[in-house]
Amino acid sequence: MRVAIIGCGTMGHLHASMAASCGLRIIACGDKYKHSAKVLAEQYSAAASDDSMAVIADPEVDIVAICSPTPTHAGYAIAAAEAGKSIFCEKPFARTVQQCRDAMSAARKAKVKLFVAHVVRYFQEFEAMRAQLAAGKVGKPGFVKLYRGGLFPMGADGWFRDYEESGGVTLDSMIHDIDWLRYTFGDAERVFCQALRRSEPEAIDYSTATFRMKSGVIAKVIGTWAQPGGFRVETEICGDKGMIQFNSDETPIFTMKRTAPGETPSTIVPASPVPKSPYQLEWEEFIAWVRGTRQPRVTARDATEAVRMALAALESAETGKPVKL
Amino acid sequence: MARIGIMSFAHMHAYSYAACLDELVEAELIAIWDDNHSRGKKAAKQFNTAFVAELDKFLALDMQGVIVTSENVRHREMVEAAAAAGKWVLCEKPLAPTVADAKAVIAACRHAKVGLGTAFPVRYSIPMMAVRQMLKSGEYGEIYAASCTNNGQFPGGWFAKQALSGGGATMDHTVHAVDALRWMTGREITHVYSENGNLLRHGIDTDDVGSLHLEMEGGIQVSHVASWNRPKSFPTWGDVTFEIVCEKGVIRVDAFNQKISVYNDDAVRAEWAYWGGNPDLGLIQDFVAAVDERREPTVTGVDGLRAVEVTVAAYKSAAAGKMVRI
Repeated sequence: MRVAIIGCGTMGHLHASMAASCGLRIIACGDKYKHSAKVLAEQYSAAASDDSMAVIADPEVDIVAICSPTPTHAGYAIAAAEAGKSIFCEKPFARTVQQCRDAMSAARKAKVKLFVAHVVRYFQEFEAMRAQLAAGKVGKPGFVKLYRGGLFPMGADGWFRDYEESGGVTLDSMIHDIDWLRYTFGDAERVFCQALRRSEPEAIDYSTATFRMKSGVIAKVIGTWAQPGGFRVETEICGDKGMIQFNSDETPIFTMKRTAPGETPSTIVPASPVPKSPYQLEWEEFIAWVRGTRQPRVTARDATEAVRMALAALESAETGKPVKL
Repeated sequence: MARIGIMSFAHMHAYSYAACLDELVEAELIAIWDDNHSRGKKAAKQFNTAFVAELDKFLALDMQGVIVTSENVRHREMVEAAAAAGKWVLCEKPLAPTVADAKAVIAACRHAKVGLGTAFPVRYSIPMMAVRQMLKSGEYGEIYAASCTNNGQFPGGWFAKQALSGGGATMDHTVHAVDALRWMTGREITHVYSENGNLLRHGIDTDDVGSLHLEMEGGIQVSHVASWNRPKSFPTWGDVTFEIVCEKGVIRVDAFNQKISVYNDDAVRAEWAYWGGNPDLGLIQDFVAAVDERREPTVTGVDGLRAVEVTVAAYKSAAAGKMVRI
């Protein structure tokens, strides 16, 4: 199967390498910046184009991997569906719930497979937490805290800094935890959220949300793009007979490079290598679905719900009122 | 030498305060009164002091100050009695479970011209004091947001009986964070949203988890978790943590994260043995000095009231399902 990468930034590079290590061929790269498309295309001897729609329409392409800025996802997904391609779409699924629905119905109509890459469902530590929960180690869960974040990402043109485009940390990053929350604890009843969304003097976003789940569980979800550096994930699940915690600061490897006198000392770089990257696991599951019938653990409907919940959180942040889901 | 008494050992902090009084050369624990006689007698024996069964006799003793560590709902009557007897009072937090009671407690002490302090030892935590200095220095610029936690193991007993505590984990574990936020930023809390519930501990009639969102003057956004979510097997009693997001950086503080890990085959759990400074000692030292100098304790009754207002508003918010203005 031959893959086209649409959007050749950080995620485009990552997904190209994951698709390639699954034995797929990257044959075309599309990005509105030709140079970005070229840089990635050269690594795979693929074609480069600044016309992503043309790349999607290429009859040689079997799979379209959408890694472009969020507001462009739905348009590319619909075009790919109409061209009969299988679709791998980076999260968030789309910028609005309507866009999610349009993309889903296009895929349904064209009978193509549409996968949204909620990679946290494939992270080993998150799977381990689900296994412990399922084994009853915390008893009945009552409180969950999920924390994620670090630097404010750049992105081409600094598009993440445009909150209208990216939805800030709430839509772009917290959505990981929002999806996992719903995956693990079911649907939410309502949400209250505070989100900083600052642009001046510097882009800083910090979002804290309380989701009340239909089960009664209270979940505090915190997303940060406020740190001058680093990246951290922290989770806590409390039940009536125990608690599970995870902290990404605790890694098996820390490295720090010696620098020449006078140079800025290098920062400590943590690493936690695993047998298979969660990104590769999601690609494997997606490919198995494309080839056969086995549904992946995350559906386009799940991804739509995650967008709906994240947008509800942003609505709450805007209005200062809890929002019913 | 300040002569101090303790009223009630219902709250476990009484044991720590008594130990602090023992440690301070400038103070003496004169006597203990407790409506639970056997508990009071035991404590008196433990701290080598007198137990006085009758409140009148206790308050007639030659002492200048008392520490009130009763059940929350009884703070008011005890502080009022102590104030009427002319004693300086250090009252365990929350100052009272209702705003009316908190105000009455303050009025009683003002009327009797005695000093009133609220027991917020977090202000005497060395790491917290260091963080406050960092914020005050201006090095981090404007404060934009914070998220804090005050988690704990389940205290059981009267803490989880509405009629005695006036509220559960939200009542128990919101006030420290509120006071620390006010103290660190110099700003007041203006709005509260809260979700709470009895989700973790069985057979109680109070909440055991609260997830709060506060808005402070200047638009500072604060997330807080007040809970009894630490299981019995957790290696320590709980935590007090803050992540403070500022213009020029982020400060994270885990106030009691100065510990050694202890693994002992006779215990059912691993243990974090704390080795940092004792915030209670600073709190008691200040109270003793206030008694001696006939001044208000540094952390006042009004500070206690401000924290009560936020806590009460949190319960109102949870019941009404909307943000509440203080």
